[in-house]
Amino acid sequence: MVKNNRSFKIQKLLKQNETYLFLVIITYSIFITSLNSSFLSLENLFDLGKSSAGMGIMAIGVFIVLLSGGIDISFTAIAISGQYIAANVLIASGVDNIFFAFLISCLVGVALGAINGLLISYFKIPTLITTLGTASVFHGALLTIVGTKAINSAQLPDCFKAFGAKNLLILTKPNGINYGLSIFIIIFILLALLTWLILKYTMLGRGIYAIGGDIDSAERSGFNIAKIQFFIYCYVGFLAGIAGVLHISLIRYSNPTYIVGTELSVIAAVVLGGTRITGGSGTIIGTIMGVAMVTILNNSLILVGLSSYWQNFFVGLIIIISVSITSYQSKRSIGNIVFRR
Amino acid sequence: MVEKLEKLLAVKDISKSYVGVQALDRVSLSINRGEIHCLVGENGSGKSTLIKIISGVVKPDEGEIIINGKRFQSLHAIDSISEGIQVIYQDLSLFPNLSIAENISLNQMIERKKRFISWKEIKNIAEREFSNISKELDLDEKVENISIANKQLVAICRALTQDAQLIIMDEPTTAITKREIDCLFSVILDLKKRGISTLFVSHKLSEVLQISNKVTVIRDGKLVGVYNTEGLDHNTLSFYMSGKKIVDSVLDYREKEGQKEPLLEVKNLSKKGNFQDINFKVCSGEIVGITGILGSGRTEIALSLFGLNRPDSGEIYIDGKLAKIKSPQDAIELGLSYLPEDRLNQGLFIKQSIGNNIVVTILQRLLNRFKLFDNSKKYEAAKEWIEELNVITPSLETAAQALSGGNQQRVVIAKWLATDPKVFILNGPTVGIDVASKSNIHNIIKGLANKGMGVIIISDEIPEIIWNCNRIIVIREGRIVKKLNTNEVTEDKLLDILARKSN
Repeated sequence: MVKNNRSFKIQKLLKQNETYLFLVIITYSIFITSLNSSFLSLENLFDLGKSSAGMGIMAIGVFIVLLSGGIDISFTAIAISGQYIAANVLIASGVDNIFFAFLISCLVGVALGAINGLLISYFKIPTLITTLGTASVFHGALLTIVGTKAINSAQLPDCFKAFGAKNLLILTKPNGINYGLSIFIIIFILLALLTWLILKYTMLGRGIYAIGGDIDSAERSGFNIAKIQFFIYCYVGFLAGIAGVLHISLIRYSNPTYIVGTELSVIAAVVLGGTRITGGSGTIIGTIMGVAMVTILNNSLILVGLSSYWQNFFVGLIIIISVSITSYQSKRSIGNIVFRR
Repeated sequence: MVEKLEKLLAVKDISKSYVGVQALDRVSLSINRGEIHCLVGENGSGKSTLIKIISGVVKPDEGEIIINGKRFQSLHAIDSISEGIQVIYQDLSLFPNLSIAENISLNQMIERKKRFISWKEIKNIAEREFSNISKELDLDEKVENISIANKQLVAICRALTQDAQLIIMDEPTTAITKREIDCLFSVILDLKKRGISTLFVSHKLSEVLQISNKVTVIRDGKLVGVYNTEGLDHNTLSFYMSGKKIVDSVLDYREKEGQKEPLLEVKNLSKKGNFQDINFKVCSGEIVGITGILGSGRTEIALSLFGLNRPDSGEIYIDGKLAKIKSPQDAIELGLSYLPEDRLNQGLFIKQSIGNNIVVTILQRLLNRFKLFDNSKKYEAAKEWIEELNVITPSLETAAQALSGGNQQRVVIAKWLATDPKVFILNGPTVGIDVASKSNIHNIIKGLANKGMGVIIISDEIPEIIWNCNRIIVIREGRIVKKLNTNEVTEDKLLDILARKSN
């Protein structure tokens, strides 16, 4: 049908945000490696993957919400609620089982997500306002009802520690020290895959794209908007619940004031990955790359010897630059449309 | 096809009233299979209500609906769709972020209650429908990247995937070019061959006369009549529609004694890819028409005059003085005003009140001595213009989007007149406005010229140009190809000049 299929494909590739982000990540990684050769080692990459998996999972949730034209800033409050409640229940009940921890954390996540979903789909409250409110309500409720005491490593059920140390592929360095591919990374990849499948191959997923594109058209086409929105926020809650368990297993410590406050950098990573903040457009690959970029940036600053406080500065800078480029490009193409008329 | 009923749709004696307003009063409409039927009426005549009743979105108070021989006591949207009635609304209801293929196929998938998506099937459905319309478009392209005309084709294809028997198009030609309209019409004729009927809702009479077999005219919620298109002409139809005889009169313009300096003079204005060597003058009291097909550069010239499209070279003189126009602010200060073609997006703050819309250009003047905004001054100013231009509105606080097209346009005109311009550039001043309001707007424009304003009308509607302008400038491919005095041309001659290919 199209003659120059190949050059056409390349052209299309060049139009995509992901391509540029990928090139930036590669260039930047090479640059950092030239300063500190340990950066591009398999060990460091595995380590980065493990420590960013939790953020990545939350980013998948944020990605879906942005795709549908909404925004969620309560997911960090949900994640810490799931984590802290699960840890407390495990300690109180004496059941030392990681699956039980996941079950509780996810149940809490889905329940809180359902509250968001209900407010948004049934009462039609704007998503920003809803989640701004619920973030505060969820976190406040956690601190007052469940408690404020941190759970230290000694009190922490062993299953978390074991889970945090679980590697699937174990490699040995020349000096005899073992390192490996954490199960965290596998969980992240599986969830990314699941989300991709939902978005690409189910009517529900296409509905998410559709309401992000034009919610009125979606309604006229016969999509059940309320149902789709309800699903979205429950799913975000579910993902936050998983991220909560990964977080506690990673740092072997739980403080109910952790995680909350990182929501903006997660949203930033997703936007950096090319997801349109106005909805309807974005890819899971882009989201993963956005998370990778933010993680690499954070990690490399330490490797280069800069304080991690610079992280905020650089992440902010990169977002402003990348969004400026995108908006400049779309402005130009809009200009073209005007003059074509 | 014998066993199929000739009559596809019949609605009889439909009445509908909204709180206190009789939207429809015993209106009937019947459409045969394969018929192209036009529903015409001015804004507010009840066209949209009738469409909504046929599509099952609104329930009539009285009357009966018969589709495919079946009588419906109460018609639901889903019944209407399953009987093959598809409405293509003005906004087309497409998903800009999805591909053409998905836009075409998705509704059918929803209707079939699919839970999972087969991309192969999506592509197959889209290819099957699109091949009938025979347009070379990449089905993977996102809808946001294609033209409005192509979006319309996508919407039509989508309707066809749901076994449409009758496609209702609500004002489909408002936003597309002449050539695209022709293309749309050939698609409609094609549908007719396949036995699919079209209900074409419009108030552009020339199009109605061109495409339809039958015309149903409604006015003020009442049926005026059903006519065969053969035997109808523009004037008769316009009379049926408005109930008034509209008399166009040529503007009588005489050059004022002793007036040498033009208000606006454009010398050798060029912008690469837009226009080349544009020279013209506009004097006080004169109405100059700039016409040309879409994409000829007519809008770009206007944008350049108003500081929105920087020219590469050339000069603009206002009152004989060289003017540097870098932004709309400069242009306004120099006494220029520009009424854009796209009233809804560029002309108005559609959700804001009429009062706010009118005073937006003169906010500086409405400050009190503490440099704070004075609401009573605003009220005075807005009220004055509403009365001056006869805008029909319940109050100054009414949102602009609640008004009819004609009244909206009067608000836009008011907003610019408030700045007291020397030269008023109107781009498509009556696009999407009904006949009666149109002539009212034309009268307003003529009145302005009579008071000494210089006016430029940019339009591709030949009658609008001929009946309102003293002089006509024809643009083709960015160049002025002809300058004429209106008394030298006829509609046919001007059409001819416009349509001619460059040789």
